[in-house]
Amino acid sequence: MSSSDKNPQASDLPTNQKTPTDADTSAESKGTTHFGYKTIEKDDKISMVAGVFHSVAKQYDVMNDLMSFGIHRLWKRFTIDASGVRPGNKVLDLAGGTGDLTAKFSKLVGREGKVVLADINSSMLNVGRDKLRDKGLVQNIDYVQANAEYLPFEENTFDIVTIAFGLRNVTDKDKALRSIYSVLKPGGRLLVLEFSKPEHELLNKAYDFYSFNILPKMGELVAKDGESYKYLAESIRMHPDQETLKSMMDNAGFEQTSFKNLTGGVVALHKGYKF
Amino acid sequence: MQASNNKELTPLNSQVSSSTAFAEGLLLAQVATATLELIINKALALNNNKAISFAALNQKTLTLALAELSFKLSFSVDTGSSPAMVMVRSQVDTSDCTIKTSIKTLKKLKANQSLTQLIKQDELDVNGDIKIAQQFANIAQSLAIDWQSELAKHLGDVPTHKLLQFGNKITKSISATGKQIEADISEYLVHEKRLVVTRSQVSAFNGQTTAIAREVTTISARIDKLFAKLAAK
Ligand SMILES: C[S@@+](CC[C@H](N)C(=O)[O-])C[C@H]1O[C@@H](n2cnc3c(N)ncnc32)[C@H](O)[C@@H]1O
Repeated sequence: MSSSDKNPQASDLPTNQKTPTDADTSAESKGTTHFGYKTIEKDDKISMVAGVFHSVAKQYDVMNDLMSFGIHRLWKRFTIDASGVRPGNKVLDLAGGTGDLTAKFSKLVGREGKVVLADINSSMLNVGRDKLRDKGLVQNIDYVQANAEYLPFEENTFDIVTIAFGLRNVTDKDKALRSIYSVLKPGGRLLVLEFSKPEHELLNKAYDFYSFNILPKMGELVAKDGESYKYLAESIRMHPDQETLKSMMDNAGFEQTSFKNLTGGVVALHKGYKF
Repeated sequence: MQASNNKELTPLNSQVSSSTAFAEGLLLAQVATATLELIINKALALNNNKAISFAALNQKTLTLALAELSFKLSFSVDTGSSPAMVMVRSQVDTSDCTIKTSIKTLKKLKANQSLTQLIKQDELDVNGDIKIAQQFANIAQSLAIDWQSELAKHLGDVPTHKLLQFGNKITKSISATGKQIEADISEYLVHEKRLVVTRSQVSAFNGQTTAIAREVTTISARIDKLFAKLAAK
């Protein structure tokens, strides 16, 4: 395990992770990518996403509860239940932000286990660290600033990797999935909790209305930041649907991939194993 | 929800019907476990006049599998957090002790039908370390809670009232369970071998917990409101 309790204040990214260098052939990565509905230069996405999360970090938890009517707690609980976590496990909570999943995993893996809260964004990581320390959770948690595309861990390190509401913000999702695959132990599993495509047209419409009309206004009112919440709504629509994400996981090498729709497909939990 | 996906996510439960999958998507199991967890830990926190020792239970899990319930109830203890916490999940890969039974059987128990008979008829099944179940039961027994004043501090009047009715029932169930377990122990120590004795305790504890779980599910709509209220704090 590297960079235990590393101080993430200094910059947004360790310099050796800042620029993708591998030649990449996937469709989304030929120079441009999406930032919400905008098509932007790939290199710009990291800093634009960073801008969003620096801006929302402090009010992130409050907004999460408000925007989802508290249901995000149940989605996360479902993820924990489906993870099969047990005492002694090593867990990576990737794009872990303010650490909701980390808090739960920390109690379930116990002293023999370890949870790494990793996020690309120093502000989110700092809010997460303060929150978990306030809760008295210190013993088995490491904090690492890292980009999901270039995970700074040895191969075969983790029993479980989770990425909750994080993958859609990642510039090159295929690369991130491959990177996750490599740090999982054989027998380990990945759980991706992410907004997805509602199963019914009516729900889809209602959800659209909510996301594009109500959500940014709430963001403006509570967090004084309508633009960031507009980005969140747009990024949700641009995220691959259930079947697409499942095949992306297959392509990255995961086996027995599956997904489960939650709340009518507003959110889906994807799961895949490395054998 | 695609049935095939559902099966893959829950490989142990290969007979999940599509209606169960739909219910799962509605997260009722998570509502139930979240509520149980909230109530149990609240009870533990309020129980500061009694020293409860969790040491032997650290990182141990007791699972109740009820035929009528589409999900399991798994209780795990973590003493690393302060105060010690009980976590409730609807699904686990491994459990130190698993009790399989049905609400039907529990009703028979309430009607005082012989526990020994039920066990012999395979209506109750215990797998794993029975001591774990006993220890959980002991803790449940030693909880005495003044829900009223504590909850009123945190919640609005209407939900508090409703939750209190629920909480009082649980408190009563828990102390009733304790007494029943004591009675069972002496009865079966005389008549049955040791393994059966502990099974009887476990099933009694199980019975009360089942009733609680059922009630939790029925008030799920109300709980949604509570979540919103708590979240706004
Ligand atoms: C919506 S938040 C989710 C936080 C937390 N997992 C939760 O569910 O509450 C998304 C997080 O993804 C992080 N993130 C975005 N791009 C990332 C990347 N390439 N690598 C790692 N984390 C990233 C952001 O900094 C942000 O904290």
